Amino acid sequence: METIAAHTTVHTEHTTSHDDHDHHHEASWLETYVFCQDHKTIAKQFLITGMFWGVVGGLLSVIFRMQLGWPNETFPILETFFGRWAEGGKISNEFYYSLVTMHGTILVFFVLTGGLSGTFANLLIPYQIGARDMASGFMNMLSYWFFFAASVVMFSSFFIQTGAASGGWTAYPPINGIRDLAVNKGSGLGFDLWILAMALFIVSSLLGGLNYVATVLNLRTKGMTMMRLPLTIWAFMFTAVLGILSFPALLAAVSLLEFDRLLGTSFYLNQIIINGNLLDYKGGSPVLFQHLFWFLGHPEVYIIILPAMGIVSEVLSVHARKPIFGYRAMVVSIMAIVIISFLVWAHHMFVTGLNPNLAAVFVLFTLLIAVPSAIKVFNWIGTIWRGSLRLNPPMLFAIGFVSMFISGGLTGLMLGNSAIDIQLHDTYFVVAHFHIVMGVAAFFGMFAGVYHWFPRMYGRFMNDTLGYIHFYITLIGGYAIFFPMHFMTGLPRRYYAFSNFETFSNFDSLVVFISIAAIIVFLAQILFIVNFFYSIFKGRKVEGEYANPWGGTTLEWTAPVARIHGNWPGEIPSVHRWPYDYSVNGKEYITQDVPLAPGEVEHK
Amino acid sequence: MTTFLVFAVIVMLYVILVLIGKANETSKLLSGKVFSYEGDSKMNGYLMLGFLVLFFWSIAFQIKYLTPLMIPKSASYHGDETDQLFYVTLFFISIVFVLTHAALFYFTYRYNESKNKEALFYSHNNKLEVIWTVIPAIVLTVLVVMGMRVWFKIFDVDGRDKNMMVVEVTGQQFKWTVRYPGPDGKFGKRIIDKEHVSPTNELGIDWTDPNSHDDFFADKIVLVKDKPVLCKLGALDVLHSFYLPHFRVKMDCVPGLPTQFYFTPKYTTAEMQDYLKTLPWWNNIGKESNEPKWKTFKYELACTELCGRSHYGMQKDVVVVATEKDYLDWMKTQQSHYETVVKPSLEEKKVAEPIAAVVSTK
Ligand code: HEM
Ligand SMILES: [Cu+2]
Ligand SMILES: [Cu+2]
Repeated sequence: METIAAHTTVHTEHTTSHDDHDHHHEASWLETYVFCQDHKTIAKQFLITGMFWGVVGGLLSVIFRMQLGWPNETFPILETFFGRWAEGGKISNEFYYSLVTMHGTILVFFVLTGGLSGTFANLLIPYQIGARDMASGFMNMLSYWFFFAASVVMFSSFFIQTGAASGGWTAYPPINGIRDLAVNKGSGLGFDLWILAMALFIVSSLLGGLNYVATVLNLRTKGMTMMRLPLTIWAFMFTAVLGILSFPALLAAVSLLEFDRLLGTSFYLNQIIINGNLLDYKGGSPVLFQHLFWFLGHPEVYIIILPAMGIVSEVLSVHARKPIFGYRAMVVSIMAIVIISFLVWAHHMFVTGLNPNLAAVFVLFTLLIAVPSAIKVFNWIGTIWRGSLRLNPPMLFAIGFVSMFISGGLTGLMLGNSAIDIQLHDTYFVVAHFHIVMGVAAFFGMFAGVYHWFPRMYGRFMNDTLGYIHFYITLIGGYAIFFPMHFMTGLPRRYYAFSNFETFSNFDSLVVFISIAAIIVFLAQILFIVNFFYSIFKGRKVEGEYANPWGGTTLEWTAPVARIHGNWPGEIPSVHRWPYDYSVNGKEYITQDVPLAPGEVEHK
Repeated sequence: MTTFLVFAVIVMLYVILVLIGKANETSKLLSGKVFSYEGDSKMNGYLMLGFLVLFFWSIAFQIKYLTPLMIPKSASYHGDETDQLFYVTLFFISIVFVLTHAALFYFTYRYNESKNKEALFYSHNNKLEVIWTVIPAIVLTVLVVMGMRVWFKIFDVDGRDKNMMVVEVTGQQFKWTVRYPGPDGKFGKRIIDKEHVSPTNELGIDWTDPNSHDDFFADKIVLVKDKPVLCKLGALDVLHSFYLPHFRVKMDCVPGLPTQFYFTPKYTTAEMQDYLKTLPWWNNIGKESNEPKWKTFKYELACTELCGRSHYGMQKDVVVVATEKDYLDWMKTQQSHYETVVKPSLEEKKVAEPIAAVVSTK
């Protein structure tokens, strides 16, 4: 470890001395922007790739919301773009299922896992723990390029003859397990590409995750004890732990699935009869796949939400000018969530033929996980109580996050009780639950982070007015889309149309309302992207060489505004206090590198 | 052309917004503010408070106008209990929801920097934290216990009524096959091997089993009020899920893995219609039928596990009749598959190809 530190110091001095000269031996363009090993650049690469995916994933939802909202209308533009998938301007049912499948996959994995963790863990871990870079810059670079490769493969599957995967983001066999186009077109090459892309994605995620954990454990600067870590870092580290322990299960699951598909093994298949022909598969179990999938799948939802929670804890505290309430409880809650989230996976499977006695265990742990979640919520509210809140865009999004997390988390208590879940499973109620608690909430966390750390990333601010417009439309629109879905309890999800059922025909006008709201919210996200790129070039500059624009206490604000290789020009600051000294000892804030004043007692 | 216009308008809108945003920022800075958001906290405090009011109002609005559209009260006995559990949970979470939201948005407004200049250094309060850990834990324990009691009652195999009726429902792309055991109350055996499964016998029914001879396939599911029914579920090709929304019944149908669901219908179709007639919303005229909504009401079977392109079309009617006699009357109108289809074809074969026929019936 010492050698690494020593090495990087030397390295930095080397580069800074270069800066003093006239940039002769600067790294080439390729090294600076493409095959870059600097955590700050990699963070930006993840962010911008994530934004690309966010737009794609959002656009897919706009298209299928158009089908749901106006099933009898035609939209010629769809045919222009999608040809035979939208003949006569109306998307086909097969295309609809590709759209929802890819929408789920893209948003869960590529935006809210890759985009979110990739951006903020990379940006903040070295900065906030006081390290020059990640433990292995090379692995970190590989992590991005595997993500990129996964993205290319996933995206290419839209353009093949038989279309993208269409058997749901959960990839359940047998529909995804048999390579028979008559059963499901999307289960052909489209799903092979899906598996390949996911495998690449998992490699990326593991490379990144191992690196994050190694960095946090080994490269903390002098004085940065674990209990002086900002909550962001706790969150990123445990997110990485979750990923390292659960993604391999998914990799195994989909690899075996591919064996079934290509080699004729029967891991997940048994007694499959298609058009009266009994296939040769024998002895496998489709339910086994579901176990493996949700063994990742449930931790995955926390992989998405924990970074957002970390970001929100930090942003709330900074802009409330007040320490986070109950720091220790927050850390313990994160740990509890991590542990329990490995013990609840079968709550996605209460009515899949699981042994009813087993369900009892999973109900217990599922409701148990609500306790640490509740503690976090109360502590956030405790944090803003008697603060002096700056209601700027990052803060508004952080508060919005808390609201979304409450609204969506509470319905988890209904879903988690197996007897109630009989009715709710695979209906719009579940759609409402997870879009609010995970989808919208995680986006709010991500936005809070982008608005907050934009000055750190680009040395400029994003525009506030556009931020407010973005925030209020997303807050109101997010609820407008998903809150009414609670009343559509009992309407099955993943329905291309409801016209075949008398029972499901009551909500026609509500469905139109939701579709309109979805389109407006999508347009507001484009406004965010406009603001983002506009501000990179034209945003207001952060004044001063060592400006700390928000008055934050954590180490990233002690580094120069100009983002240099190695982060700090001279020595790395050492740490003398916890990260939440706001409004204390007559000072508005005290950064972590400030030694205790004579007579000052460290906050424990 | 219209599409192009719409795009042009949207792009214009973005340009205008960016210009407004920039102008706002510049004017703030010119007036000597350090942060461009300075002074906005006050406005946002009010807006957030306004949002709280709007949010609560909209929920009241939704309760008023959307609950009447929901799937009506449970038509099965266990469904009453799961619904009750739903409402008990709803009660608890509503309290938490209202209190936390009121606090969150009120604090946002009350303690924004324009109203509260000085933050209070207040980092933790162990007593408070214990309280808000223990109370949720107790409530959750209560919910788990209540939930488990209902759950185990639903899946209590030993407590089943010996007189229950049995229906077999099999899902395949994209239809349901409903098989009744016929007057003898026994299903013919199914043997899943290449010899028995064929395009004309997808279920692999062993027609040499005499129990199979009176089995019949029905085009709908007919149940009897207050008579327990065991649904034996299966699937041929991919996953499907057997979902009776009005009865609060759902169970996946898995190829190669038999599943089941046992329940008792509580209201006949006619009784449910009579009940709905008393609700104003159900007296609205349906768009296609031109009849009051309650009149076209029916119980339905739907699929809730994505099974391919026509997943959303796997519908079947379900009817609950009042008495056993009604049921038997209906059964008399149904024809045994063996008698009407299998036997004639066997006889045909016997005439044409005596040897092959002997082999296939063993
Ligand atoms: C407060 C604790 C929570 C509980 C008790 C809970 C419980 C549940 C249960 C039981 C289901 C399965 C519903 C069904 O399919 O029938 C579910 C679905 C889901 N939950 Fe939660 N949940 C909680 C919080 C969260 C959080 C924090 C997230 C994400 C950040 C999340 C994301 C999801 C997702 C994505 C699904 C649906 C997956 C799918 O079927 O496609 N939940 N939740
Ligand atoms: Cu889960
Ligand atoms: Cu289906």
